[in-house]
Amino acid sequence: MTVGSITGHRKRRWGKYVMPYLFIAVPLLSFIIFVFIPMLVSFWWSLNDYSGIQPPRFIGFQNYIDLFTRDKYFLQALRNTSIFVLLGMSIGPTLGLLTAILLNQKVNFQAIFRTAYYLPVMTSLVVVSTIWVMLYNQNGLFNSILHAIGIQPVRWLSNPSIALVSVAIASIWQGFGFETVIFLAALQSIPRELYEAAMIDGANGWQQFRYITVPSLRFVIAFVYIYGIIGSYQVFDQVFVMTSGGPVHSTTTLVYYLFSKFQDLRLGYASAIAYILFAILVVFSLIELRLSREK
Amino acid sequence: MRINKVLIGMLLIMSFVLGACGSGAQQPAASNEKVTITVWDYYGEATPIKPLIEGFQKENPNITVQYEALDWDTTLEKLNVVTTGGTPPDVVTTDMTWIPKFAALGGFTDLKPLSGGKLNGEAWDQAYTPGGLEAITYKDQIVAALYDFDVYALYYRADLLEQKGLQVPKTWDELKDVSLKLAEGDKYLYQWGADTFHGSQWIYENGGDLLSADNKTVVFNSPEAVAATQTYLDLLTNKSAIYWGADQGERIQGIKDGRIAMFSDGPYNMGIMKSAAPEMAGKWKVALHPYGKQPGSYLGGTGLAIPAQAKQKEAAWKFIEYAMRVENQIGVYTYAGAAPALTAALQSPEVNVADPYFGGQKPFDVFLEAMKTAKHFPYVRQWNDIDVAFSTAMEQIGLGQKPVKDALDEAAAIATDALSK
Repeated sequence: MTVGSITGHRKRRWGKYVMPYLFIAVPLLSFIIFVFIPMLVSFWWSLNDYSGIQPPRFIGFQNYIDLFTRDKYFLQALRNTSIFVLLGMSIGPTLGLLTAILLNQKVNFQAIFRTAYYLPVMTSLVVVSTIWVMLYNQNGLFNSILHAIGIQPVRWLSNPSIALVSVAIASIWQGFGFETVIFLAALQSIPRELYEAAMIDGANGWQQFRYITVPSLRFVIAFVYIYGIIGSYQVFDQVFVMTSGGPVHSTTTLVYYLFSKFQDLRLGYASAIAYILFAILVVFSLIELRLSREK
Repeated sequence: MRINKVLIGMLLIMSFVLGACGSGAQQPAASNEKVTITVWDYYGEATPIKPLIEGFQKENPNITVQYEALDWDTTLEKLNVVTTGGTPPDVVTTDMTWIPKFAALGGFTDLKPLSGGKLNGEAWDQAYTPGGLEAITYKDQIVAALYDFDVYALYYRADLLEQKGLQVPKTWDELKDVSLKLAEGDKYLYQWGADTFHGSQWIYENGGDLLSADNKTVVFNSPEAVAATQTYLDLLTNKSAIYWGADQGERIQGIKDGRIAMFSDGPYNMGIMKSAAPEMAGKWKVALHPYGKQPGSYLGGTGLAIPAQAKQKEAAWKFIEYAMRVENQIGVYTYAGAAPALTAALQSPEVNVADPYFGGQKPFDVFLEAMKTAKHFPYVRQWNDIDVAFSTAMEQIGLGQKPVKDALDEAAAIATDALSK
């Protein structure tokens, strides 16, 4: 009797501790095989001169040293990407919040507006970029408008000091619908009573926004910015379609540069770039982790 | 019991894995054994390769061709992936600009021993022009069979020249003069390309080069090269050329709307013009690009290569030889509108015909002439770095960001550093 009850107890404990791992076994294994091991291999490559065809040659941190001391184009890509992130993040979320606040009002055809703002997010980036290339064309819509009001045409994509901004504008247009939807969901979860109480206390619109809306959205705002930064640092498609990184490397981003090194079968060098990008993203992910823990 | 089952299961899995490994290393099939070869083709819809398969399989009933249509970008990407670990195709269309990388890394099979020194019974050096043979040779190996070739010549609006009583320019001075007289504001301009293809042409035409003959020194900032690039820039400065950037759109738009009256490009462009700008028929002609000291152009095109790890090299070579027969080479022109690389095919009456689109001239006479002095880009592993540095300089020059010499010197320093690695 006693023996039987002990085995029964053990079985239950076994079930308690092992079963959960069985349930997550498939995602865990696929993570290890398809993410973790490739990451380790990629890190090993980044310490080698490796083409994929010839055997790797161990060179320590030489790839990393070369990137920062000999590779002008890499440093430019790093700077371009940071400017792109800064441009996107200073406009995108704000635009998303404003749109969300407007959509949160009682407006007619609200559903249509919501769909319209979200539509670009669901559209392939390649399609969006191709459309924007047409808009930016020398004889495209934007220059036609400028021409009509008597302004010289702008070389949106072939002027090195403008091209990155042009790419960023297209990206913001494509992406802010996502932020709108997130903010809208968050806005609608703020209890109405708070606003009612504030109104009774005589708070005006701005005060309501400043002391109720913003604090309530604090974590959502942090989420939108962190994920926006992480996503923007990985910008590739727009650059690939619109400018191929040019003119004069003014739109070369980290991932685009990495890709070009991969195309040249410099797998070790490309892996080193990937790890530098990884380090940047880890920093922002840690910030996000910290913020969400404070919650 | 349970342990036994697990063991049996593991043994089964292991035998499966080992079996799979074993089959991967199989020997080339004997001539009557049934084999399948995979062919990757980047030509697209107007491919001259796909129509060959039926006839090839009829002649070789033991070989099945598994055909995959890809585009240029995808072919390059997939080739990168499979050569670094995977199952490569047996035959692949390769752009000659990919040769430096793949050949330097030993990614392609040497066709010399496989072919017994002959292409369809003809010695390699008989089948191709010297420049053509040089383009497929890497360190005494033949790494591809040149299938179509690309050299740059001048496309020009013959109708406008005639209207204005101008002669076709033969020298740079004449080009400067003609382009200036042709230009009307932002119309009828010379298309200014800020890339290595165009920039190198001007340097070659002035007796300069990108690298020294031994590929060890960067020379694209030599006095001849600087002078050539300055002359090229003069066309922009005196407003008889148009800088073609990302917001100008496709060139064909500029051809159609009259922004472009002259440009330099290869024979493949004839097919594009005929299909995309049929209304321009009879208005354009082709001539040798004007030069300073001597005619010059890069030499490229499409090669048919066998990746080093391909399994069925014998059968793959049979397919390449079949594709390189003169009667099949003609298809490069009739299907794709490009220039067949075999001299015999290029001079055949089917290919070298008077072309009504180009005012009744025989354009291939011009391209064959240009091919005689054309040379392929240097075959060094660092070619991509050199290409990027040089084209960056061309952009800086064309956009007026830097004086010619400064830009070329700076690019030369970067390229020299790359060469030293």
